[in-house]
Amino acid sequence: MALTRRQRARLGRGVQYAIAVAVVLLVALTADWATIGRAFFDLEVAASQFPGVIVIALRNTIVFTALGFVVALALGLVLALMRLSSVRIYRLVAGAYVEFFRGLPALLIVIAIGFGVPLAFGTILDRTVAITLALGIVGSAYIAETVRAGIQSVPRGQVEAARSLGMSPLRTMVFIVIPQAFRIVLPPLTNELILLTKDSSLAFLLGTTLEQQELAQFGRSALNQFRSLTPILVVGLCYLIITIPLSYLARRLERKYGSAGMPKGAEV
Amino acid sequence: MPARSRTITSAVAVAATAVVLAGCGNSPDSGQAPAAGNDVQLVAEGKLTTCTHLPYEPFQFNDGGKIVGFDVELVDLVATKLGVTQEIIDTPFEGIQSGEDLNIGKCDVAAAAMTINDVRKQNFDFSEPYFDATQALLVKSSAGITATDAATAAQALAGKRVGVQSSTTGQEWAQENLPNSELVVFEDLGLLTTAAQTDQVDAAINDNGPLLDFAKKNPEMAVTAEFDTDEQYGIGVKKGNTAVLQAVNEAIATARTDGTYDKIYEKWFGKAPGA
Repeated sequence: MALTRRQRARLGRGVQYAIAVAVVLLVALTADWATIGRAFFDLEVAASQFPGVIVIALRNTIVFTALGFVVALALGLVLALMRLSSVRIYRLVAGAYVEFFRGLPALLIVIAIGFGVPLAFGTILDRTVAITLALGIVGSAYIAETVRAGIQSVPRGQVEAARSLGMSPLRTMVFIVIPQAFRIVLPPLTNELILLTKDSSLAFLLGTTLEQQELAQFGRSALNQFRSLTPILVVGLCYLIITIPLSYLARRLERKYGSAGMPKGAEV
Repeated sequence: MPARSRTITSAVAVAATAVVLAGCGNSPDSGQAPAAGNDVQLVAEGKLTTCTHLPYEPFQFNDGGKIVGFDVELVDLVATKLGVTQEIIDTPFEGIQSGEDLNIGKCDVAAAAMTINDVRKQNFDFSEPYFDATQALLVKSSAGITATDAATAAQALAGKRVGVQSSTTGQEWAQENLPNSELVVFEDLGLLTTAAQTDQVDAAINDNGPLLDFAKKNPEMAVTAEFDTDEQYGIGVKKGNTAVLQAVNEAIATARTDGTYDKIYEKWFGKAPGA
């Protein structure tokens, strides 16, 4: 077969399209659409989810995520600075922390904090505090690495320039390096926020009153009550209401600051 | 980077750690709430906090944004006796039956249609029994699976997929008595009954109360066997918390004598106790 390169490319693409069409047809023809429609698109059940799904579940998800992210960011910044420290023990502690918590499923961390902290200190954690702490710890391990990479990618010249202008090392770090590093890590941090939004679904492990349910548990609870999958679709859409704008924001930021992290036209 | 700037980095790290730790220290301490009754200590002021695992119809389930059921009304009697209101926390069953939820002070009582048994008795204290139960077999009416006792059930269910609920006495019973069946463990009763209804499992084993209720509401399902396991439900209280335990026992005893118990029983099971 003497095909030109162009013909071969076209043939390859044709095969890809054919496979895609076959898969779509197979799914479309074998799925029981009537049942799916009844299970997932029961308008009556969907309507009954409002306004609770917004005023209780969506609100709780946003609150848990936002609080968790603040803690994660604070802890992550500290850990990043510790990893870059000249003090060996700081580097070791931060390194161990990151490896430990990055390697564990978030589910285990939520259970460990929910039961462990009250047992160890003899005090009940408020539920919001417990989930905030758990999400903060889960997020901080990832954020620490992101921020560390960000700080390291600020050009050395920036530090030297600041120092030669007479700024102290502390001022240099706080006013010159960290602000630039944060601009660099904004897009990956936004992605971390999206991940935390989804991890907040683990709050059910801590036990909830009906008013404390976040999206995933609200959906599960309604699934049991109505024996319909429609609530799962409804809460799924609610997650997308949070996450799609965030990922759009992440892309915008990435475009604005460039993949190398520096603002376009900035001298390096 | 000169050495000095590295020490500065460390200094910033230490300072920031201090700030974060200080922030954590200020978190609201909801433990050790003052007593509500005479010597009854409750985990949250003015509330009798109940741990349960939803849904377990008709004992406790979410009915249009409100948790209702037999257990709920029984514990309401205890709350009324103590002059407080009941707050119900829905939490995974493992934490309830292991006693950890009570130990860490998540709740004052655990009311979750829970069978009194020796293992659980080591983890927490039980009230006097308030309900008799047995294990039962839920199948599709059309499947024709029946049994009279554990031995015939083992035969009828050999090679079949049998659904059970995580950490329940039903799971234990199935593990002991159905050696040749494939056991599928579900997180809650809703998932278990739905699985049986949609043929993901051939049969489901659970307490007779909720399965009979489910079969009544879903005519294509049937409870074809009950296994006389002679179980009794009790309300759980943290080990050594005699004040709350006494309040629970007194409330149950009063309800039994003044007819409230029978009234609640009839409301949720549609018949008088023992009928």
